[in-house]
Amino acid sequence: MGLLVEFGEIYHPSINNAVLAFDQAFAAGRPTGVIECVPTFRSVLIRFDPIELEFDALEGHVANLLDKNDWYGSDAPSGRKHWILPTVYGGARGKDLGEVADLMNMREDQVVDSHAEASLTVAMLGFSPGLAYLGQLPDVWQFSRRTKVTPSVPAGAVLVAVRQVVLPCTPIPTGWRQIGQTPFRSFDVSAKKPFLLSPGDQVQFEPVSETAFQAFEMSDFLRTSPP
Amino acid sequence: MTGLEILKITPSATVQDRGRVGFLRFGVTGGGAMDAYGLAEGQVLLGNGPDDAAIEFAEFGGEFRAIAPVQVALSGAEMTAQLNGHPVAWRRTVALSAGDVLNIGAAKTGVYGYLHVGGGFQTDVVLGSRSTHLRAGFGHVLAVGQKITAGSDRIVQERALPAPNTFESREIRAMWGPQSHYFSEETRAAFSAATLEVLPARDRMGICLSSSAGKIKSATGLSIASDAINLGDIQVTGDGTPTALLADRGSSGGYPRIATLITADLGPFAQLRTGSKIGLRMVKRSDAVQALDKFRRKINGLPKLLMPLVRDPWRMDDLLSYNLVDGVLRGDEDDAN
Repeated sequence: MGLLVEFGEIYHPSINNAVLAFDQAFAAGRPTGVIECVPTFRSVLIRFDPIELEFDALEGHVANLLDKNDWYGSDAPSGRKHWILPTVYGGARGKDLGEVADLMNMREDQVVDSHAEASLTVAMLGFSPGLAYLGQLPDVWQFSRRTKVTPSVPAGAVLVAVRQVVLPCTPIPTGWRQIGQTPFRSFDVSAKKPFLLSPGDQVQFEPVSETAFQAFEMSDFLRTSPP
Repeated sequence: MTGLEILKITPSATVQDRGRVGFLRFGVTGGGAMDAYGLAEGQVLLGNGPDDAAIEFAEFGGEFRAIAPVQVALSGAEMTAQLNGHPVAWRRTVALSAGDVLNIGAAKTGVYGYLHVGGGFQTDVVLGSRSTHLRAGFGHVLAVGQKITAGSDRIVQERALPAPNTFESREIRAMWGPQSHYFSEETRAAFSAATLEVLPARDRMGICLSSSAGKIKSATGLSIASDAINLGDIQVTGDGTPTALLADRGSSGGYPRIATLITADLGPFAQLRTGSKIGLRMVKRSDAVQALDKFRRKINGLPKLLMPLVRDPWRMDDLLSYNLVDGVLRGDEDDAN
């Protein structure tokens, strides 16, 4: 059974910040019978076993915790990591860069600069395993998704629309536009820690050459990242 | 080592166990058997553990050859089944000898049937589960020629379970949820009173329904951001089609969800054949909890329903292959002394 704690209806950094702060605070004193919590853009879904933990008890616990803090104005969750992800922009790895530049009325190099300068937050993971939604890009990135779905984009595709970045860990169909690709993989099922990016983590993209992309080794990268 | 070699298989057949828990925040839904009770039947028949994996069939089965002696059981939706060309009953243990061929055909009732081996199928464990989740990239499509290893077999006495009455349900229970208010009271009343038909667009991800009350309208100008989708949520897409989201659903979505099917009724719902007509019965939270408790007791009570099978010689058409005289005394053994 689920109890949904909603902080708003839309994606906004202050709503998402409240979600992430509440999720962390709830986890610190999680009552027995809670199965898992799912922080998203705007809400936290608490999945629980209603026979082990009565709904009223959980609701009371949540109400108490909600009263304890101004969640919208709370500090960013502690322990979050800062990732710098090497990315090849444009060309075969970012075939929609030209189209995005047209939408933004900018040159391709200006688009890349704007994207790589942005300090982004992992707002949530969802849709497919480890896929990260990152926000929030500057206003100029406010354009919608395509109505036509691209049947498949590769793992590591850097996808953009609605001032957000989507970073899939597996090939997915998508209506988002691909401006680049990173060799970084947030999800590796065989790794000791299968998921690297967590909700709340900070991410910045760093333009690199195709040669650097080819030479990238996850194990080397993880020796120094996150710093 | 024993197990089964796949001789024929349908693409919709997958290895499933109870599914994954705890990875929804990373975008990974539970997966797992579409009919938890059906899965548990086979586990109980063979004395397997609750986390052991079986092959789940959707409407059609496949053909399997025993690599070495192995005990198997068939559970869930009853399908036609033959052992070396002779009919074999559903919901019982079957001892296979090396080379025996088990053929599983079409479902006679329901949709999802399960083939178990003693000790469970030993496929790779991914994030705590053997459940295949093709959209997520976990597990593989089963292929002809593939050999699937069985775990250590306990060899139980031949036994059977009675068939449950959960196929062809006419009523499925549901609860209103946190997004129900995006639909007007009239829309909700019409939806919950309507007859819902199971459409052909269905798989492990979800089941599309058509409502006798017509397309469902959600409030206009709706632009809620994506959040977590719970098991059994009924989302309404832009064209007004309600879809119940099941084991292999995406973890999050932005379409408003009008209601949620209760956990206890997810198995019977998944077992509904395409074209089935059902009604929803909206229940209170306390009723859903009570139903869940009852459902768990039913699964935990399965061992008590086991019936030992006594062989009837007149129904054994391969009578000569059975060793019926082992240990029989002549009666004059003592005379020699």
